[in-house]
Amino acid sequence: MIKCEHVAKVYKDSVTALQDVNLEINKGEFVFIVGPSGSGKSTFIRLLLKEEEPTAGDIFVAGKNIRKLTRWKVPELRRNIGTVFQDFKLLPNRTVFQNVAFALEVIGKPKHVVDQRVPEILELVGLGDKLNNFPDELSGGEQQRVSVARAFVNRPLILLADEPTGNLDPATSVEIMKLLDRINRIGTTVIMATHDNAIVDAMRRRVIELDSGKVVRDQSRGVYGYGT
Amino acid sequence: MARRVDYYFRETLSGLRRNGLVAFAAVSTMFISLFLLGGAQLIGRQIGLVIDQQTERVEVAVYLDDGISQADSDRILAKLNAMPEVDHVRYESKQQAYERFQALFANQPDLVNNVSANALPASYRVKLADPSKFRVIYAQIFGQPGVEQVVDERAVLDRLFAVSRVLRWGAYIATAVMLISSIALIANTVRMAVFARRKEIGIMRLVGATNWFIRIPFLIEGLVEGLVGAALAIAALAVLRRVFFNSIHQTIAFLPVVRTQDLLALVPLLLVVSVVVALMASALAMRRFLEV
Repeated sequence: MIKCEHVAKVYKDSVTALQDVNLEINKGEFVFIVGPSGSGKSTFIRLLLKEEEPTAGDIFVAGKNIRKLTRWKVPELRRNIGTVFQDFKLLPNRTVFQNVAFALEVIGKPKHVVDQRVPEILELVGLGDKLNNFPDELSGGEQQRVSVARAFVNRPLILLADEPTGNLDPATSVEIMKLLDRINRIGTTVIMATHDNAIVDAMRRRVIELDSGKVVRDQSRGVYGYGT
Repeated sequence: MARRVDYYFRETLSGLRRNGLVAFAAVSTMFISLFLLGGAQLIGRQIGLVIDQQTERVEVAVYLDDGISQADSDRILAKLNAMPEVDHVRYESKQQAYERFQALFANQPDLVNNVSANALPASYRVKLADPSKFRVIYAQIFGQPGVEQVVDERAVLDRLFAVSRVLRWGAYIATAVMLISSIALIANTVRMAVFARRKEIGIMRLVGATNWFIRIPFLIEGLVEGLVGAALAIAALAVLRRVFFNSIHQTIAFLPVVRTQDLLALVPLLLVVSVVVALMASALAMRRFLEV
């Protein structure tokens, strides 16, 4: 599903964010990307979304070399990748329903599809009774579930989560992880960048550890292991 | 599709509401610049009509002494007719001159009553084959016995031409300046709209909305501002035509005046200018602030 070949990213001020990253993630896998701050996790996610270009190397997503993707093909790539962030990125002036519907409307989905899929997905994330609430009326965990719903409502092949539990307490984090696990079990490839060792250790999934932009460990059914 | 149109409409409306004051400034400058442009065109057309009408009639007037003998008069006519530069010659008696004068100033009876039929000279009205050949006529006719004065009536019109040229260029330069400021102002409203919606735009990009889908509401916003300005300018020009040009017509009845058709002929020009300016402004704003 995702393949990186000798990927490197050097920023203008010659800060090396990634160097010679080679990895392959298969369809339906659940992968943790771990490592200290500044190790290149976020850069890796931005490269997958083609928000930035690698300095060297090739990245393949769903068989396509995204370095060769023209600008107007980028939206198509992003429709295949759902994204969840630490800060939720919800629109405060729209209801839960409208926030999720927004993701479908702006890619031109007709109203009947929106009206059918949005309540369905909100039911799936356990917010079936909060359709008309505004984000500031929800707890952090609930807001993150809205954001997961929005990322997943278009049934992407890949779900990218950048520190999705970074702002949540441990109990709520577990809820979000259960949700991501369910999404993964339907066949979605989930890639999650995180600091949260308790979660990584509990899930026992593949762990890719980055340090100073290099892959220092790639282990199936791994633990966080950082600092031990 | 219906949903999409609905979305664009809502976004445009809320954008215009949000930046009311700047949108108002943008619409006003667009209005002023197009009003100047259209006004310059109308005045130019008006002066053109007057010149057409006048040059159609006469280029040179040969005014005759009151006491001129029939023989002198006939000789001058023969001389004029013999000249290759002359197209044709018409005699205007003192009485005819007086009647023309009466018709010209029919709306000013005081002036007409103060001038006696005898005060105006008789003349030969000469139409030239080539209007620029006045000097040739002047050299040969002026100084002949019985000739009081030879006047190039076109010279008067030339001055009118010159005045109209200056007026028009002045208006064009003012129009250009105003158009540049309306580009800046429309670009500014669009930029503010983009800024106010940066969060939405970020999410749209993330979920894979196409660039055009993201841009169109901003383009429409700029376009609406431009078109509202154009509509106001057209309305104001219609009022100007009614009030100003009709009052000319009432004062000087013989003058042809610009008609509604002349105004209608300007409408496409004004619309095209407003659309081009608005699209340029929106594109400018988005190129700098909507990079993907």
